[in-house]
Amino acid sequence: MFWRILWRLLYASRGRLALALLAVASGAAVCAALLNLDLDATDKLTREFRVLGANVVVSAPQTGDAAGTMDGGQIDRILQLQLPQVAGIAPYLYLSAEAAAGENKAAVIVAGTWFDEAQRMNSSWKIDGAWVTSRDDRTKCMIGEQAAARLGMTLGKSLKVEYGGREAVLQVAGIITAGSSEDSQIFVGLPVAQELGGMGARVSLVQMSARGSAPEVDNVISRLSLAFPGLQVRPLHQLAEAEGRLLERIRGLILATVVLILALTSLGVLAAMAGLALERRRDVGLMKALGGSVRQIVRFFLAEATAIALVGGTAGFVVGMFLSQWIGQRVFSVSITPRLIVLPATLALMVLVSLAGAFPLRLLGRVRPSEILRGE
Amino acid sequence: MMPVLVQVEDISKTYGGLRALDSVSFEVLAGEWIAIMGPSGSGKTTLINILGGLDHPTGGRAIVDGVNVGTLGERELTRYRAEKIGFVFQQFHLVPYLSALENVMLAQYFHSLADEAEASAALKRVGLADRLDHLPSQLSGGEQQRVALARALINHPKLILADEPTGNLDEANEHVVLDLLQELHRAGHTILLVTHSPEIGRMADRRIELAHGHLMQIVANVT
Repeated sequence: MFWRILWRLLYASRGRLALALLAVASGAAVCAALLNLDLDATDKLTREFRVLGANVVVSAPQTGDAAGTMDGGQIDRILQLQLPQVAGIAPYLYLSAEAAAGENKAAVIVAGTWFDEAQRMNSSWKIDGAWVTSRDDRTKCMIGEQAAARLGMTLGKSLKVEYGGREAVLQVAGIITAGSSEDSQIFVGLPVAQELGGMGARVSLVQMSARGSAPEVDNVISRLSLAFPGLQVRPLHQLAEAEGRLLERIRGLILATVVLILALTSLGVLAAMAGLALERRRDVGLMKALGGSVRQIVRFFLAEATAIALVGGTAGFVVGMFLSQWIGQRVFSVSITPRLIVLPATLALMVLVSLAGAFPLRLLGRVRPSEILRGE
Repeated sequence: MMPVLVQVEDISKTYGGLRALDSVSFEVLAGEWIAIMGPSGSGKTTLINILGGLDHPTGGRAIVDGVNVGTLGERELTRYRAEKIGFVFQQFHLVPYLSALENVMLAQYFHSLADEAEASAALKRVGLADRLDHLPSQLSGGEQQRVALARALINHPKLILADEPTGNLDEANEHVVLDLLQELHRAGHTILLVTHSPEIGRMADRRIELAHGHLMQIVANVT
């Protein structure tokens, strides 16, 4: 009988309840979209931030004024840790070398690295030409725009690099504009740099790109420090903290908006329910006269509010998932994946909001049946 | 001799400065049909409301089936109304969005458990077998009042309180409702019926006549 009466109540007040449903569905759509963004966009954004370069550096401890080198085999051991937050890893061997092209000569920093990883971790760099595709390429190099200008290099030209009496001739595949010190460097394959250096399989440092919030990045650093006590593991603080602050602000903004939307939704439901409470005074008076307890009667109305929350919340969730994808693309330029966990969260929030909005219905408990039946 | 079902002792009710009932006393035996009569504003509906647990008396006692209604709290009054009283109102007071059957089942639901078959049988008894699924708006006044009668009887109340049940009906429907009330009376139900109509008043066992809140006289009808 409860469900039968509930259905009749819903059907009888469908016009007014449609307004409440609209308020709940709209609120749910925005909340679901923002919650999904909060869950998915944060992760996606940290990935996006990774185009800004590495945020963790592993290097040999400094000996005197000179930076030391470390065994290149350490890279394999880092990879064996299989840290889920690590999105990219690139070793670097830096040499202070001489470069010559025709009559132009200049002292330059030669950075030997894995081209594929360097490309992945520095996708914000502008490249004139193309990245060298093979990690072991011994014939091509990438050159920073300032170094290229000093040596008069253009795409396709060759240059000679000398270090410690050893030399390599390389063709320029791409000119890099990084907006930083890399603009005056020449990037060669790691084996080329190691041969020039004559130091075997050693590297100056390993740059890593770790995803996640500041605590997650700190966790990666702690694990690496524990695993490699002889090496220095340090964050690139400026970038990591700026990312963290930005992400915290985005999350704060999202949560503040969710709270605001919930409050507005509650007001929308409150307005609809207040009208409904007035409309139902006579019915409630009659139900009380027939022996209906306040508890029994209010339960009908709270069930109505819950039904609205569940239907509106589900509809809002579906719309919200599309909305989050749209916001993700338009605002953050990331593709957002719908998360099913947002559904129960949205429904729970909508039920809470609807029950809070149904507060005026509690006043029906004060209806005096004799007054209603007298027509007051 | 039937036992006393309703005992009204020196009962008074004031609304602000207005004295709606003033020291009214009488008794009703189980199975009696009492007509409460008097001009508008004489306190008839107030008396019914107090006996039905819809209003509290300002003074005196109203004891129905051993229960002093005036001393009951809100929850106890709710149970009292559900278990002991069957209301029939002049305005029918059916829930507009529930069918005839559901209106009867609603009273069952508030009492204990809704029983569709029993509710359906109650409506058949008042001649509405073919109107079970009709909404009140799809029923005539007489049919609505018959639904209200079926609703009033469904929980087997000790006392039926009818406040001008034929006041809004045409002559034909009035007869149908009065016939049903007579039938209930013959079946042993105790009925207190408010009416302006002397003819209906004469159908009762006794008439209680009120004026300006005072009990003027109690007249036993000779059958």
